[in-house]
Amino acid sequence: MNRETRTPLKLDDAELRSRRAYFEINDEDLERLASLRAFGQTHLDDIIESFYRFILEHHESRVFFADDTSVQRVKRLQKEYFLGLFSGVLDVRYVENRLRVGATHERIGMPLRIYLGAYALYLRLLLVKLGEEYEPSLAGMHFRSVQKLVYFDMSLAVDTYIASYVETLGRHQAAIRELSTPCIRVYDRVLLLPLVGTIDTQRAQQIMETVLVRVADEQARVVIVDIAGVPVVDTKVADHLLKTTAALRLIGAESILTGISPHVARTIVQLGVDISAMYTKSRLADGIELALSIVGKRITQVAP
Amino acid sequence: MSREVLSSVVMPIAGEDDVVLVRRRVRDLAQAQGFDAFATAAVTTAASELARNALVHGKGGRATVRELNEDGRAGLSIQFQDQGPGIADLERALAGGYSTARSLGLGLSGARRLVDEFDIDSAPGRGTMASITKWKRLY
Amino acid sequence: MKGQGSIPILRVGSTLLATVHVELYDTVAEAFQQDVLLAIERTGAVGLIVDISGLETVDSYVARVLADTGRMARLMGADTVLCGMRPEVAATLIRMGYAMEGVKTALNVDDGLARLGASTGPLGKGRPA
Repeated sequence: MNRETRTPLKLDDAELRSRRAYFEINDEDLERLASLRAFGQTHLDDIIESFYRFILEHHESRVFFADDTSVQRVKRLQKEYFLGLFSGVLDVRYVENRLRVGATHERIGMPLRIYLGAYALYLRLLLVKLGEEYEPSLAGMHFRSVQKLVYFDMSLAVDTYIASYVETLGRHQAAIRELSTPCIRVYDRVLLLPLVGTIDTQRAQQIMETVLVRVADEQARVVIVDIAGVPVVDTKVADHLLKTTAALRLIGAESILTGISPHVARTIVQLGVDISAMYTKSRLADGIELALSIVGKRITQVAP
Repeated sequence: MSREVLSSVVMPIAGEDDVVLVRRRVRDLAQAQGFDAFATAAVTTAASELARNALVHGKGGRATVRELNEDGRAGLSIQFQDQGPGIADLERALAGGYSTARSLGLGLSGARRLVDEFDIDSAPGRGTMASITKWKRLY
Repeated sequence: MKGQGSIPILRVGSTLLATVHVELYDTVAEAFQQDVLLAIERTGAVGLIVDISGLETVDSYVARVLADTGRMARLMGADTVLCGMRPEVAATLIRMGYAMEGVKTALNVDDGLARLGASTGPLGKGRPA
């Protein structure tokens, strides 16, 4: 793993080969690009200057360059990138280098459209220079090779951005899931699991695991599962609840289902779901009373 | 996107002790790869079911245990190959209601429910190839 | 007391306590079943506690041996409670579709003993059909 910038993506030889094939980059293209190295060297400074003139003229791209020092630094890196196009080598190391460039831009928060716009600019600048230097048919062939590689690089950049977004999304989902399975200790060895929101398969599994671990940690005898906040209770949700109950029973804990509205009761019966294996109560208060009786306690009226 | 094989070990399944060894190796690798307790139990149990199937119904065979990496995500895959009579009605065996021999139905259908990827290929006289893959949960 | 297998079975009053701390593979599981039943016959125990908190993996075969042992013990007059199943083991069995219905369970040995001693307690009565 690289220390400077972690890339969320990796490409192996097989993937590299298939991608090369898809972009139709053959050895001839690489040879042609290598033969253009002198051309690249000649126009390097000119192209990079034009590139940054454009970038700094536009507000949306300028904001990513804090001061002149940072512009000087990225210009140096940009030259490396530019000359890389004419190395004539397209191997795993090349890809890693390109992925790192993409990851760096993603990390500083540069929107993908700005990044892609810069690639388009590169192609325009190169097209002009190639047209000036070579006769049209040769310039066309050169340009095609350059274009293939630049588009290849763009595909890597897009993948890097997507991988990073997916990673962020996953982290956020995990945080939400964590928050959505609160397990509250209401009394010694009695836990309350108030479920709110939609329960899909993934969340149901998460709920089951969370509650099992909590029950084992606290050696809880009873878990009250309150579904008053679950908008839809269909066959699937009922099945998930039954599985959680069954798993809790296996580790030695009882479960009580509360918060069953008339609507949910009707649905469960109409769907033909058998929940006779569960204790059920309409009101949470009744569920708490039942739970306490299981651990040998009782709520009694005292004189006012 | 790209799947990399970090290690690959072939283990024989010729006796009961081998089933235990396969199970232990899968558990050790899952833990080494940082699988959580639930994923570790799931993949170890699935491997145990299939190793037992290979031994009891397949008259023995071998297991190939592989450590994988897919775009930075750790995974384990175990492929079981036996030389047994094969399974005539795969669909029924996978539905969990197979009754020709003890635990076969539950073993296959149970193992399938525990893993992320499940492949099986079998026909009478050709033996059975079953392959499971489990990925580390990222979050 | 020690039988053929490697799982020790202790007698506590009229209850037998078996602690499964080794990996239960086929021959061990079968020897365990045999030892438990012989011990019940010998001691006339009316309760059996099987502590499986040390078991990291329970596949369908082992689960069935455990459930069957409980049923057989019951036939011989010893009520059986399976104690200390780990969360990940429970989740795995449920995902496989193996709920071990009819097997009594408890969080730990203490709870298991309480379940045996007080079969009229909250877990014994009032349980929905």
